[in-house]
Amino acid sequence: MERNSNDAAAVHVNDIWKSYGGTTVLKGVDITLLPGQVHALLGGNGAGKSTLMKSIAGLVNPESGSIEINGQTLTTASPAAAQALGLYLVPQEAQILPNQSVLENICLGLRATAKSLRSDIEKLVADLAVKLDLDAQAATLEIADRQIVEILRGLVRKARVLILDEPTSALTPHEANALFDRVRQLQAQGVGIFFISHKLREIREICDVISVLRDGAIVLYGTLDEYDDQQIVEAMTKAATNNPIANPGRRQRQTDFSGSDRVLELNGFSGEGFSNISFDVRAGEIVGLAGVVGAGRSELAETLFGLRPSNGGTVQLLGQDLIKRSPRHCVDAGLVYLPEDRQQNGLFLEASLTWNMSGYTMHRLGFFPKAHRETGEFSEFRDALGIKCDGPGQSAGRLSGGNQQKVLLAKCLAANPRVLILDEPTRGVDVAARHDIYRLIHQLAEKGMGVLLISSDFDEIEQLADRVVVMAHGHQCGELSTRDINVDAIALLAFESGAAIHA
Amino acid sequence: MLDFFARNRVATLFGVTVLAFILIGMAAPGYLSLSTASVITSNSLVLMTVALGTMLVILTRNIDVSSGSVLGLSAVILGLLLNNNVGLVPAIIICLLCGALAGLFNGLLVTFFNVPSIIATLGTLGLFRGIMLILTGGKWIEELPQSLKFLAENGSIGISVLTVVVAIAFVGVWAFTRYTRFGRYFYAVGDNREAARHLGIRVHLVQISAFVAAGTLAALAGIIFAAQIGFIPNQAGNGVELKAIAANVLGGVSLLGGSGSVPGVFVGVIFMTSIDSALVFLKIPAFWNDFIGGAVLLLVLLLDGRVRIAVEKAIRAKRYGVHAPAPTSTATSARKIASSTPKPAQENTQ
Repeated sequence: MERNSNDAAAVHVNDIWKSYGGTTVLKGVDITLLPGQVHALLGGNGAGKSTLMKSIAGLVNPESGSIEINGQTLTTASPAAAQALGLYLVPQEAQILPNQSVLENICLGLRATAKSLRSDIEKLVADLAVKLDLDAQAATLEIADRQIVEILRGLVRKARVLILDEPTSALTPHEANALFDRVRQLQAQGVGIFFISHKLREIREICDVISVLRDGAIVLYGTLDEYDDQQIVEAMTKAATNNPIANPGRRQRQTDFSGSDRVLELNGFSGEGFSNISFDVRAGEIVGLAGVVGAGRSELAETLFGLRPSNGGTVQLLGQDLIKRSPRHCVDAGLVYLPEDRQQNGLFLEASLTWNMSGYTMHRLGFFPKAHRETGEFSEFRDALGIKCDGPGQSAGRLSGGNQQKVLLAKCLAANPRVLILDEPTRGVDVAARHDIYRLIHQLAEKGMGVLLISSDFDEIEQLADRVVVMAHGHQCGELSTRDINVDAIALLAFESGAAIHA
Repeated sequence: MLDFFARNRVATLFGVTVLAFILIGMAAPGYLSLSTASVITSNSLVLMTVALGTMLVILTRNIDVSSGSVLGLSAVILGLLLNNNVGLVPAIIICLLCGALAGLFNGLLVTFFNVPSIIATLGTLGLFRGIMLILTGGKWIEELPQSLKFLAENGSIGISVLTVVVAIAFVGVWAFTRYTRFGRYFYAVGDNREAARHLGIRVHLVQISAFVAAGTLAALAGIIFAAQIGFIPNQAGNGVELKAIAANVLGGVSLLGGSGSVPGVFVGVIFMTSIDSALVFLKIPAFWNDFIGGAVLLLVLLLDGRVRIAVEKAIRAKRYGVHAPAPTSTATSARKIASSTPKPAQENTQ
């Protein structure tokens, strides 16, 4: 990179190296961020993006190389030191203090008191057009609201350098646009921003320059007009030419499932956060459950799976009434749920990959589980799903997001389900892994599995679903059959009816 | 009402304590008197002080089980200094410094050497007790000077110098945790260590500070102990650490860190001490004390747990009640493209 831009640079990283265990994650990375620049950072899972950003933010201590923030060298690897130099990292996984109020969560670590910042924060909340109760206890926040808290932390700190790690992954399109407006304002004020995202459309909309990381080195750098999408995607994946990760695209849809069995049928199903939901899923069908965050979809899934009490309605699974609802009964009856929050509800982070895989089937393994059989099963899934890992004994917390998600999918499939509920299956997952997962969902449907796909990403629903049920504010507010499915129709139902209910 | 008790566990315990006092007062007339209050206060001073330090450590999601030994060790150091004609004030200062040093040692073990706090302080529990025994050669320290004992004597209004000191310590720690930024960090670190680090809080510094404070307060408890009984036996402070943890739990300090308050600890300690004094008053043989104390502790915690579950249920019902009201003019625009009509909800969970 040009060394002459050093003096003016908001961040200047010079030749940093970092390795974990035997693998080198960063191999002499140079990167420069100018004030008032929005710099996109792309790369597959495990390419080193997170490690690079964490090094800049002082969360990771690189072995060699130097990091300058606003002209001053970061001497100790501590977030406090990086923040003192005017940098803040908005992480992908929100870090929340569950016992404190939302306001305290945002203001903690700042010199000013929460009281004095309150009006500023209220203004930011209004600017972002989100709803957030500042006095609520943070433990009660949904995952999307936690992300918003993280973003607010970044905005209120008036940092000169901001790192946004997939900030829109939990936002609705509306909120994302509001965030982009804020980003442009900050840019105009001369704040330098690193923007990590997997969504090229987003990057084109907001970023000036782009760097692509692959295997710990920068393989593409320049302004966004210089490259088209294909070039960028190719830069991210080494074997781009012979193994295209081209989008599997909208699948050839079967429009008529009336010949297939109903595998899941809800009738007037009600519970905490939703009421009177009725729809069915047929064998081989992918039913999208769309809506904005907080529409009650995850609550519905958790209630179905026996994690929350229901208060009315019936559920039929494979034609049988599902009366006793507990996770174990559901698994044995052929219904499996992939939770939304993989860190908190999905994975045993310390446990090995095989143990994670056997999570739903532990009770079938017998008193002395046979390790070699589990290992064998795991390697099958590893090949089938393309899980990148050191081996079956690696602990799940060490994998990247996409690979963690694949392990969880393996866990679901190991139980041999007939109906699969997927809750935000591609949140925080890179493009390549996302396409792997899409392909897998297609294959499963073709084999006759009924899939209920919960997603806030309307593109995803459009791409995958054969039929869409839309929920807003806990109510079922519409259903779209195959030929009516498009992003606009879904959005119209999800937002407009939501607004109408709220008014 | 439920909300109030959910947020104010202290109030719940306070209510239970007052009720207990009234019941005992009815069973044994004469119990409710100023002299009883005075006895309970002076009996609770040692536990108060230790529990206060323990709270600071628990807030940061660590635990300190070495405070009993720190108490004994610093009391012995105080006794040895005084019996070698060191002045009272310098002796007290050195004693407190020793406590702080012991706490620092704990803190360094937990932070820089990454030893889990329960293991680290179990180790130092033995270590400090051992140092104490080596210092005394296994003998009790007797004939402490009158100037020390004077500190524990109740003045004309039934309050000793030490009571005032402990009261100041309580108010100080209360104000610190509630009103200072650094005090907030204690809660933050215990609540979510990673998040705290991420927000630029010096997590190690906070954890070490908590241990140092706990050590210093344990040393203060040692001074109180020595002043109150006038000699220092080998087992001084034995077991007080567990009582302090129990008082914290009673007072609503979460062992998972991040929540709890000084008034809670105060009520917790008073509750535990008053059980002892009440048993004496009710003329129940002393060997019943531990049994009844343990049973009451369990009973209160169990009751509290039930109340908590009920409250949580009510709060959840209220939170999701928002979803229940039926939409009357549902989404006319949505209907155009919707093939199924929305069905209004009937149930209201409240």
